[in-house]
Amino acid sequence: MRSPVGAVIDVAGLQVRFGTVDAVAGVDLRVEAGQALALLGRNGAGKSTTMRVLAGVVPPTRGRAVVAGHDVRTDPLPAKRVVGYCPDVGGLVPRATPWEHLQLSARLRRLDGWEPRARALLEQFDLGDVAHRVTAGFSHGMGRRLSVVLAALHEPEVLLLDEPFDGVDPLGVEATVTVVEDARARGAAVLVSTHLRDLAVQACSEVAVLRGGVRVATVSADHMAGDEGARAYRALLA
Amino acid sequence: MPTARSSPELSRPEVARALADVGHLLRFRRATLRRPRAVGLALAGLGAVTLAAAVLPALLVPGDELDRFVRPALAAVVLVAVIGAIAAGGGRELLARDPASVLPISPVTDHLGALLLAPLSAGWLIQAWGLLGLVSAVAGPGGTPVALAWLVAVTALAQAVGWAGEQLRRRGTLAWLSAPLAGLGLLPAPLVADAIGAGPPTLVFAVLALLGATALLVAAGGVLAVATARLVPRDEARRETATYAPRPLPASDLALLRRTDRASVWRSVPLRRGTALLALAPGSVALAGALAWSSLVLLPGLVASGCVLLFGVNLWCLDGRGMLWRESLPVAPRTVLLARALVLAEVLLGAGTATLILGAIRAGRPTTAELLAVVLALLVVVAQSLSAALRWSHAHPYAVDLRSARATPAPPLAMVGYSLRLAVATTLSGLLLAGFAGVGRADLVALSAALLLAVSAVRIVRAARRWSDPVRRAAVVAVVAA
Repeated sequence: MRSPVGAVIDVAGLQVRFGTVDAVAGVDLRVEAGQALALLGRNGAGKSTTMRVLAGVVPPTRGRAVVAGHDVRTDPLPAKRVVGYCPDVGGLVPRATPWEHLQLSARLRRLDGWEPRARALLEQFDLGDVAHRVTAGFSHGMGRRLSVVLAALHEPEVLLLDEPFDGVDPLGVEATVTVVEDARARGAAVLVSTHLRDLAVQACSEVAVLRGGVRVATVSADHMAGDEGARAYRALLA
Repeated sequence: MPTARSSPELSRPEVARALADVGHLLRFRRATLRRPRAVGLALAGLGAVTLAAAVLPALLVPGDELDRFVRPALAAVVLVAVIGAIAAGGGRELLARDPASVLPISPVTDHLGALLLAPLSAGWLIQAWGLLGLVSAVAGPGGTPVALAWLVAVTALAQAVGWAGEQLRRRGTLAWLSAPLAGLGLLPAPLVADAIGAGPPTLVFAVLALLGATALLVAAGGVLAVATARLVPRDEARRETATYAPRPLPASDLALLRRTDRASVWRSVPLRRGTALLALAPGSVALAGALAWSSLVLLPGLVASGCVLLFGVNLWCLDGRGMLWRESLPVAPRTVLLARALVLAEVLLGAGTATLILGAIRAGRPTTAELLAVVLALLVVVAQSLSAALRWSHAHPYAVDLRSARATPAPPLAMVGYSLRLAVATTLSGLLLAGFAGVGRADLVALSAALLLAVSAVRIVRAARRWSDPVRRAAVVAVVAA
């Protein structure tokens, strides 16, 4: 069943424990339809683990994680159908081509007539020429761009982008921001994890800061912009 | 060789530095062991078996009838070591390619590290134990130093030939053209065999001569390693930039997953090369030796044990870091597991069948029991290997990139453990079926095969159940995609 009205992503009291380490120690997040929330924080703050929980890759130890009305713990397959996920590292099968990645995603999500959109996205991210080349030889930036394409292909209700700007050239950044804007325009909830505060502010309407596996603040993106935003961000990290 | 004169890597200070770096890398490997106690126990176990192989036959086995086997055993060690080294494209690495790429590790360090790791393979160890046992039975403990010196010299020769083969490969020539260099080991084999049975002065001379040859071969290998390191690995570069025409979507999720996994196997340099070698080499030996059907029963186990070591013991490493994304796709875990298991089974069955077809050419007409035993042996060892692969892949995943021709799906010592355990299980199964076929009991062949298949089936079902646990699966994903 759907969580509080309007919240497409609803995370409450989320805890993830790896052995003796609390990777996430009680995160609460709400992202509504048409909203883009940036997750900021230092390395190890729990951003990627939170993303992985929402993508259905890591089960939560405690707490609730609901995407578009589907609990990722009890309802994993429907949850995965509505999520588009760009992982923080790699994210590509090394000996498959971009087109084969797209085919796999389209097939498992039962997409019809997906090819024109796939081609358009590949062109938008300047990957049209390498659509049939194995990804093992891709540069880091190419891999990041393709991961965003894969996350966006099925126009998901929940778009999770973990470090989508890392090592990506300005045109790729522009294409990624466009993907976020398009997703918001069609009513999707977007979560962007990044270390690049300026881009987070540019792409998102709100910013949540995680520290030590918990959320320490959620502010509007404007508050994190410019030099004042930088000072505020550093203060939250300290 | 001109390379030697012009290479700074081969200057005296650099070689000294390379030697020191081997020590540093070994200490790093030791410090980063996941289960140091288990590794210590494993090494102690291997040492104990080696000691037993060198001592016990002298006490327990009459060697009068065995001395005629010493010469072929010495030659077999050469052939197996050289073939393995050529296929391995430079042998094992003390540090995998990606982490090593940011460190100033010289080709000489790489060469010495590969030499040190060469004995950590089931093929090498089984050959070594066989040779030590044979020499011990024939000549007593006095022959052991010569056998050990022979093993060391042959390993150095194989490593040097391996580099020569890799250099040919990187120049676009067939690597196997370096195989005749194995003659450098085959030629002195009769002399060494004679020395093993001789008096102490000859034994001492043989040991010193072999150690001198080892020094020369290690140096030659170093020169070849330096020259090879300057060339681009062509196979890998070609594979990483290869394009593949799009194909229409297959009829089912399972078919598409299987196609994706199959591509991950056949587009990988070490997996293609290893599978082809294992499919053809044992069968060719069987063909050349005109092995009887009673012996052919054992071959599927040998081939399956080898093939499963190519990627099966760490099945999920085929996805590399892409496993994070794949795990986020909406598909039942059992379908993913089934696709991966089917692809592994295809490889095992294909290689085993090719071996049996080659071996059958000169094996004569089989009895019904023999034919049944061979076919069922293939099915049994495939099921055993599959069950082992699924269990081990879940219990001990590793982050491995199988792009490099030198990559292995698990660390060297783990590979030794896997291969020995599999070799024992599959060989015993083969012997059981061969025994019943030998006395013409097709019914017992079928019954024992059914029991062995049932045991494997239960283990496969259990492994599949474990894979459906999201916590366990997440742990595997975290390691493989690290």
